[in-house]
Amino acid sequence: MTGSAHPIGSDGGAGTTLPRRLGSALRTRVRNGDFIRWIGRAGAVIPVLALAFILVTLLLEALPVIAHNGWGFFTRSAWTEGNLYGKTVTTGGIAHPPGASYGALPAIVGTLGTALIALLIAVPVSIGAALVIVERLPRRLASGVGMFLELLAGVPSVIIGLWGALTFGPFLAHHVTPVIARNIPDVPVLNYFRGNVGAGQGLLTSGLVLAVMVIPIIAATARDLIRQVPILPREGAVALGMSDWETARRVTLPWVGSGIVGASVLGLGRALGETIAVAMVCGSALGAVPGNIYATMTTIAATIVSYLDSAFLDTTGYAVRTLAELGLVLMVITLAVNVLARFLVRKVSGTALPVGRGL
Amino acid sequence: MAKRLRVLCAAAAVLPLALLAACSSGSSNSPTSSSGSAPGAASNGKTITETGSTLLFPLFGAWQTDYNTDFPSVTITSGATGSGTGITDAATGLVNIGASDAYLSPADLQTYPGLLNIPLAVSGAAIVYNLPGGKGHVKFNGKVLADIYAGKITKWNDPAIKAINPGMSLPSMNIVTLHRSDSSGTTFIYTSFLNAQDPKDWPIANVGTTVTWPSVPGQLGELGNGGMVAACGTTKGCIAYVGISYLSKTEALNLGTGALGNKSGNFELPETPAIKAALDQFEPKTPASGAQSLINTTAPTGYPIINYEYAIVKKQQASAAEAAAIQKFLTWIVTKGNSSTYLEPVLFEPLPARVLAISQKLISSISG
Repeated sequence: MTGSAHPIGSDGGAGTTLPRRLGSALRTRVRNGDFIRWIGRAGAVIPVLALAFILVTLLLEALPVIAHNGWGFFTRSAWTEGNLYGKTVTTGGIAHPPGASYGALPAIVGTLGTALIALLIAVPVSIGAALVIVERLPRRLASGVGMFLELLAGVPSVIIGLWGALTFGPFLAHHVTPVIARNIPDVPVLNYFRGNVGAGQGLLTSGLVLAVMVIPIIAATARDLIRQVPILPREGAVALGMSDWETARRVTLPWVGSGIVGASVLGLGRALGETIAVAMVCGSALGAVPGNIYATMTTIAATIVSYLDSAFLDTTGYAVRTLAELGLVLMVITLAVNVLARFLVRKVSGTALPVGRGL
Repeated sequence: MAKRLRVLCAAAAVLPLALLAACSSGSSNSPTSSSGSAPGAASNGKTITETGSTLLFPLFGAWQTDYNTDFPSVTITSGATGSGTGITDAATGLVNIGASDAYLSPADLQTYPGLLNIPLAVSGAAIVYNLPGGKGHVKFNGKVLADIYAGKITKWNDPAIKAINPGMSLPSMNIVTLHRSDSSGTTFIYTSFLNAQDPKDWPIANVGTTVTWPSVPGQLGELGNGGMVAACGTTKGCIAYVGISYLSKTEALNLGTGALGNKSGNFELPETPAIKAALDQFEPKTPASGAQSLINTTAPTGYPIINYEYAIVKKQQASAAEAAAIQKFLTWIVTKGNSSTYLEPVLFEPLPARVLAISQKLISSISG
């Protein structure tokens, strides 16, 4: 193909310059642009195929144990491989080591909990950062800060995990969380901030580490969006006597609202699926729903990565199949969040743009 | 256009299934079909591949390097993937040798009938801790450790710890328990010890390479023996279990090494005489299959947490040349590779004579 690619581009598909060894039918196809069309089609189909392949593989792997684990999979907390040196037992047609029992509740709670904490922190911070970069900072400084945002987005997650496990987590546990835990009132919801603060690994640390990873994603997108807001409505708002904050809140942000929801969903996707950084700071407490916000926990992704090798030791295959089911749960959660986000974007973009529409 | 779209959709639906069929026939768990084709390993005996135990990995690296110097025509590749992956890779023919800290269970042999577990060397696990100005060695037994890891003992000056450490001043400090967050053979032998000495508080279901640790406030999960050592070094009041090959590093960080109570109630340090004493007790008991737990010795002066490191190998290899190459390499490991040059730096012990004979017999049963 390399020999024939050049002539097509250079003289607009004149058949005479195509190498003779290509068959005439093939030459006609190249000239008519069929190849480009086929490559385009393949490009369109491959992502669909990849997703379908992953889903089908996971489903086939998990299928035998889904019925066995049942709905209880979502309400149980136990996570026990059973006695690997015991006599294999068969219940409901599934062979497994005696005493094996798996529940996904702690991992599901951990996944959603860390993602929630990450977004609660990342969204306001990112919007603030984007507004400051676009509207406040001198251009040169703004591009510098923007570059740092993009650099932060490029930091490998294992590095952020290392920082979280060695520096940030212990710092929180020694200097920040004890103060919060002592002073917070003992009322519903807030009492999750009370109690033993642990040693720096757990729900809060994981959520904050995820926030650090999500902020550049949301902030960079929000910055680009806010740059797109035309100057006229903003000048109009200032002319009407609005303060900077009012302009941002009533003109700029509504203008880009749906885009920011979309950016937040991108961040949420990252937070739900992030694996290694969370595995390093979550404390990997399989089998227990965190009792307070500082408690050690696990997420679905962290469970899969830290448990896979042990699962291989269960040669009945029950453990690996259960991990596949867990992976399926994560995919369903991620897809559901995406669908929800699309719905939200549509809703937000329907009601946004209170001023300046049609400019 | 609509028709084309339908065709494409159908293709999109069918192709994954086809791919899947292709994949699963390649790496399925059927022990009979996979003997002829080892997709990851060339069958000419020029390449030997290994994956598995992270505890054995540093030593395996030393073996590999020196074997390559002696026999440059053979290429050996190794990977620290964890024992579970090692067993599965060896069983499915993806690699020649799977390294494991645990011997094969009856269930493993039921799933993969043609697998051998060949003892290679003797390893062990130690308890380390971070206490200020700690002179001497704090004593622990399975009951106290199980209670610490279950969150029933939370302070270093708990009466239960004081009772077995008379005369030692222990601070009123919170105990921070460290455990491995990745799959680990060290976790397996440590939890086996807890279960052996305190089956009531540490049930058999909580024995494994990754276990559901009881929820203890302040507990930390760490990646790898290195992660355990680093975290314990910076966490006052911590307690951790590490492979004995890491003891030189914990001593460099001024971490204390615990003396462990054995079945006779004596407290022993993970040092050669105590390990040898335990080994002497298990040597005559080791069966011809090589599968023997070395946990909780009855020897009065024996150290209670040691284990054989195993090579998991398929009896039936892809070719005679490959079988011969593997036999030669494994024989080298249990003889020359068991010399103190290799084992002393990692505090491993060589195989005792009778177990060496068992290993050699197992090695000679590999065929092409």
